Amino acid sequence: MSVFEPGLVHTPVTPFTRDNRIDYDTFGRLIEFHLRSGADSLALPTHIGESVSLTDEEQRALLAFAIRQVNGRKPIIAHASDAGSAIAADRARHAQELGAAAIVATTPYYWTPPPHMIIEHFAAIGSAVTIPFFVYNSPEEMPGTRITADLCLKLIDRLPNFAGVVDLSLDWQFMIELLTYAERKRGGFALIAGTEHMMSAAAIGATGLFSPLAGVAPKLVRKLFDSCRKDLLVKARSDQEAVAALRQHLKSSGSLKAALRAMGRDCGVPRPPLQAPDAEGSRALAAMLEPMLRDEPRGF
Amino acid sequence: MQNKFRGVMQSPITPLKDDYSLDLPAFEKVLDFHVRTGAPAISWPHHKGESLSLTIPERKRFAEATVKVVAGRVPVTIHVSALAVEDTMELAQHAQKIGADGILAITPYFWTPTREAIHDYFIRLCTSIELPVLSYNSPSYLAGVEITGELMSRLIERLPNFVGVKEASFNSEKFLEISRVALALRPNFALLTGVEFLLPSVPLGGVGSYSAAGSVCPNLCAALFDACMAGEWPRARELQYKMTRLWHLFKDQYPSSLKGGMVIMGRPVGPTRPPLPTATKERQAFIEKELADMGVLDSEPHGW
Repeated sequence: MSVFEPGLVHTPVTPFTRDNRIDYDTFGRLIEFHLRSGADSLALPTHIGESVSLTDEEQRALLAFAIRQVNGRKPIIAHASDAGSAIAADRARHAQELGAAAIVATTPYYWTPPPHMIIEHFAAIGSAVTIPFFVYNSPEEMPGTRITADLCLKLIDRLPNFAGVVDLSLDWQFMIELLTYAERKRGGFALIAGTEHMMSAAAIGATGLFSPLAGVAPKLVRKLFDSCRKDLLVKARSDQEAVAALRQHLKSSGSLKAALRAMGRDCGVPRPPLQAPDAEGSRALAAMLEPMLRDEPRGF
Repeated sequence: MQNKFRGVMQSPITPLKDDYSLDLPAFEKVLDFHVRTGAPAISWPHHKGESLSLTIPERKRFAEATVKVVAGRVPVTIHVSALAVEDTMELAQHAQKIGADGILAITPYFWTPTREAIHDYFIRLCTSIELPVLSYNSPSYLAGVEITGELMSRLIERLPNFVGVKEASFNSEKFLEISRVALALRPNFALLTGVEFLLPSVPLGGVGSYSAAGSVCPNLCAALFDACMAGEWPRARELQYKMTRLWHLFKDQYPSSLKGGMVIMGRPVGPTRPPLPTATKERQAFIEKELADMGVLDSEPHGW
């Protein structure tokens, strides 16, 4: 398997029309914005893209649309997570057929299985494809399941295409332990920061970043990523603090979409059960973000 | 002014005789070994020193020995955290009386105190003495009880002797937030990582750590710290990975395995008090094989 380096991965939101359908016109413009604004790859539909609120058919159609739109200009990582192993595996297989460059998947929704079942779940998804397979480690979003370094090492033995971990745990112990041992088993095994807390991950050896905030502040995120990749870690600190401050306000799809609207890139509001901030909340958020986003692009 | 608590500081293990009583001559050797092999400061008794398995009189006795043996060569802090807060208060008074350079105190055990209770605890502790106080944040061991950035800033504003934190969340977001608020208010605030995870902490403002493995590999501790402070990241990564293999080896039944490792290094310090086990001969043989594989037997001092 050749080594696939995702680099700075933008994770777009999914725009909806007022009657709650996927807004493909806006999605096309949003994808163009991401490509122009420094994305090395795209990952979709991720949790910030409300994957869990899309039907299986919609997830497939959305991916097909994105692949047609991007037309080979940048790699697309398809997110294929579900509660059932076979459902997720089938979606992954379909993504490869469509032309996805890689697959990313998290632990099964709801079931909180023990480690040996998590391994089987990932093995089912990963072995359904031959393209690189990434595990998405997000303990806060997936309470009750825990991905350990040991679990990943076992999965390396099972899956020749297991290429790396996208980490949202922010856990130094896990990240260091993972790279200490995984690199010895599989050269090129990648640690990818799953949020914009890039500095410590980069110090440890992360080479990529999944960024939801890149839709709002692509310049800042790119600058942080580039400094980190050049090992200019001390220099990156002020940008890291700025991104962290932004992140505190924009963790949910609702607030992120409100911020996108404030930046002139209206992608609608989230589907239920997620809620958007009300008009007053949106205005307050926009006012608070304004000084933080002065250098960032407006409109599509 | 630079904070005197920086670098990879050593927290000695507590040597015991075969009947589990304190072994003072061996403890003196451990302290002297750490100072001679470059420890920038000494702190005792951490959890690794079996603090919670020692009686309060035992803790006082060895605290006195620590100050006496180190004899001003490097700063000494006393870890005063005890199950009963009243014992903590008394240990803090005692540390001041015997001439320690500071104390270290974790958020209260067991009760999962609220943020306000943690606040009041540190106010009471820090105003009861004049010594510098290092706080100790360990949310994963204490059911999520933690010193948040907001609480940290209130304590720094209120307490002139609140000079640092042993930060053991090992989490990028939490560490960055504490670093951001603490350094803005007190630029020489000592941001110390719980064990030697220096690589991710130094770029965020970390200036050192306490040591898990220093009684086995003091040279590696110093080399890792130097590489991080010099910004030699590729070398720092290599050393951090090696340190992690050691941490992996020792954290299993910590500190029993560490005491087992010290036997291999020619510095035996006796058993570990129950409920923790003592490293068996088989475990020691396994540790020896691992240390040999990592090159530690050749690159680190043997004997006292």
